[in-house]
Amino acid sequence: MEFDGKTIFVTGSTRGIGAAAAELFLERGGSVILHGRRQADVDAAVSRLSPRHPGRVRGLAADLADRAQCRSLAQEVGALDILVNCGGIFHEASIADTGHAIWDETIAVNLTAPWVLSQSLLPILRQRKGTIVNVGSDAAMLGYAGCVAYCASKGALVGLTRALATELAPDVRVLCVCPGPTETDMMRQSVATAPDEAKARQQWANYTLLDRVAAPREIGEAILLAASPRATFMTGSVIMADGGATAGRRV
Amino acid sequence: MTFDYGGRVALVTGAGRGLGFAIAKGLHEAGATVAINDRTPEACDAAIARLGGGARLVTAPADLSAADGPGQAVAQATRGGRLDFLINNAAVNIEKPIEATDDAHWDTHLNVILRASFLTVQAALPLLKASRGCIVNVASELGLHAIANNVAYVSAKHGLVTMTKAMAIELAPDGVRANALCPGTMDTELMRDCAADSGDLAAYYAAFNRYHPVGRLASPDEIAAFVLCLLSPAAAFMTGSAIAIDGGSTAGRL
Repeated sequence: MEFDGKTIFVTGSTRGIGAAAAELFLERGGSVILHGRRQADVDAAVSRLSPRHPGRVRGLAADLADRAQCRSLAQEVGALDILVNCGGIFHEASIADTGHAIWDETIAVNLTAPWVLSQSLLPILRQRKGTIVNVGSDAAMLGYAGCVAYCASKGALVGLTRALATELAPDVRVLCVCPGPTETDMMRQSVATAPDEAKARQQWANYTLLDRVAAPREIGEAILLAASPRATFMTGSVIMADGGATAGRRV
Repeated sequence: MTFDYGGRVALVTGAGRGLGFAIAKGLHEAGATVAINDRTPEACDAAIARLGGGARLVTAPADLSAADGPGQAVAQATRGGRLDFLINNAAVNIEKPIEATDDAHWDTHLNVILRASFLTVQAALPLLKASRGCIVNVASELGLHAIANNVAYVSAKHGLVTMTKAMAIELAPDGVRANALCPGTMDTELMRDCAADSGDLAAYYAAFNRYHPVGRLASPDEIAAFVLCLLSPAAAFMTGSAIAIDGGSTAGRL
């Protein structure tokens, strides 16, 4: 299978897009290191997947907002072929209400953690001619009101992708997959806190040309495409898996 | 083109030298009151002296890498209770390979380029809304693509481009415009420092001349002239734009 013999480390993989990508890597032969912030969530995800994929699943807990924990995490990961930086956070707040804590945590988790993990795992990734896949967002390309820190962090993640790709070629391929609105806890929380839940859900769907939000597995497929040994001429790529959100819109 | 910015108030960060100084000079010549921010009071005073001094030049020193620096700069700039133009120009740019990029280097670039530009906007927001003002975030052509040995700078400048779009969308209903300017390499003091650090100044300049299809670097004054245009009613329909002004460097290769 496509990922036979490959070890893939996916951050933020106890739920949402990361969980879907991890499951797809396992189904296609890979060994996966799961990651979540809470040990209990990690244990539950490992228990859920390991019976079907014995010997190919393990899990690690760490808070990506803490760069010392990111460095320990990289040490615990050890050897790998593919790093998927999928862990992310999303705070909704106006410019006026975006306090230092929201700003710093958003940049730390969505940008600095992918940077620290990439840098820490670089020796082994170089040695194995590995791949880094960062999970961006359509908000890396489009400005949205009410999430200035998130847009800044995801735009910067595209910059990180391009900078790493430029400097690490030809040893390590580095790509960014940018999902549009996806049926995850992140989106459900945003919808649940909106004044009109149904309208908020419809608005997310209408951001896309397909008039629906993505299933996590659809984004997982785009991540596997980026990580695939069939994608050997793709590096520095920003792959929009956004249902056309950035391609066009209706008047 | 000439503009009349009489009665307008501007804050230019990193205005002690380079592009920031050129923008401050252009705005001051056009009649605006200009607050000069740089890291030290001495750097601000020196820039003000070079501009001839007077009541329309205000000193606004602050260290923008610190969390409270941006607020201090805005507070000093807005003692008159008005702000029309916020030019986030301050930056650091120290080239380092990935392996040599340590936490301090990463944080300085992210904080000065990205966080400070956010915090000045946040602090200035009530006055910018009142004046239906204009934000220019000076990004870089490296906010649109990458070069090697500059990972922190490239990441921060890309973030600044997208942050500008988010600000433009959120502030459009208030009549506040926000645009990101993406200049190519300019012949500034910062460039000369980088060239000197490289060990071979002439080769460094030659490489960057070649890098731009027009075969030369930009002068800070020509970029500043465009900023004055961007602030004017001629650009009233421009918001959320990432404007490459880069001698063709992001358009293709010779």
